[in-house]
Amino acid sequence: MRLTPEELAARTRRNRALAAVLVVFIVLVFTTTILKLSADRDQTAGGPTAQLVVQEP
Amino acid sequence: MTRPAAAPSITTAQPEDYFQLLKPRVMSLVIFTAVTGLVVAGGDIGWLTAAIAILCIAVGAGAAGALNMALEGETDALMRRTRGRPVAAGRVSKNDAMAFGVVLSLFSVMLLGMATNWLAGGLLALTIVYYAGFYTLLLKRRTPQNIVIGGAAGAFPPVIGWAAATGTAPWQAWLLFLIIFLWTPPHSWALALYSAGDYAKAGIPMMPVARGAKSTRLQILLYSLVFVPVAIAPGLSGLGGPVYLAVSIAGGAGFLLLAARLWRSRAGDQPDKAEAVGREAALYDVRAEAKPARNLFAFSILYLMALFAALLVESLTPMMRP
Repeated sequence: MRLTPEELAARTRRNRALAAVLVVFIVLVFTTTILKLSADRDQTAGGPTAQLVVQEP
Repeated sequence: MTRPAAAPSITTAQPEDYFQLLKPRVMSLVIFTAVTGLVVAGGDIGWLTAAIAILCIAVGAGAAGALNMALEGETDALMRRTRGRPVAAGRVSKNDAMAFGVVLSLFSVMLLGMATNWLAGGLLALTIVYYAGFYTLLLKRRTPQNIVIGGAAGAFPPVIGWAAATGTAPWQAWLLFLIIFLWTPPHSWALALYSAGDYAKAGIPMMPVARGAKSTRLQILLYSLVFVPVAIAPGLSGLGGPVYLAVSIAGGAGFLLLAARLWRSRAGDQPDKAEAVGREAALYDVRAEAKPARNLFAFSILYLMALFAALLVESLTPMMRP
């Protein structure tokens, strides 16, 4: 099956857009994971949140 | 003996067509109201998590729009206002739009749940199912109350934003929900009054098609009389401050004035200009009689934006609060 130049150009553009979206998604999942891990560490290892609770009268 | 496989169809759809599937104009209103809910809630969510949450809410709303377009491609093709949409115009296939919507729905709900909490993720999932499933598949073609009930889908974003920030959805969040919920009927019916011919052609029982223009004008006025006090309520309950109160009262008076003018008008009694002269026309190219409907439609968007902008500004600048 041979693609016309228009079909080929459209497919290339779609593939590039899809790749960009996938990269953004991976970055977002990575960022979310790091943020969650940091928050959990603060709470369980006496981080800022835990200290705040301890200091309450 | 095996049948020969069908030749795969290659589309010339561009990334912009997929972006159009997300209904970017609707998405901008969703982003604005969700940001307001998130900021007004005042939780201890970090700015990065907040940005991810807003992105997820926007993409989730866009996914619901893509599913809506996939399911309504044939209907959209019959209406002037929607015939240029990617599925209706044949630039994106129904299956591709459906797959796009499903994948984005899953990704946005999953990421929102992971980044914030599962109350927010669950509310986003509910919004998508409500809009694409309940409203598009069940309500829209069955009852003239379609946008009254279906309007809830558009009202969820501030609640989701609030839930993302705090993990809760208190009455203040539901008051914001109620404002958008009650705003939707007069807003949508004002548009329907000068697009009734389109809806009739597509077999959608919008209020002017099912009950006539006169009844629709009366119901717009009645809904406006309920909506405006609810829009003012945050200013009296402490959710909004003096700026909000002033904006909601002044804008509410304007809203009621336009609704009363529309009620007294003959908007929707005649086919709109484009149908009368049999040519393509812009959405705002309406007969003189229909102008009160167009005026209310345009003002309703401005009023809702002003209400949420006032809340947002007051929350971001605490010195404006008493």
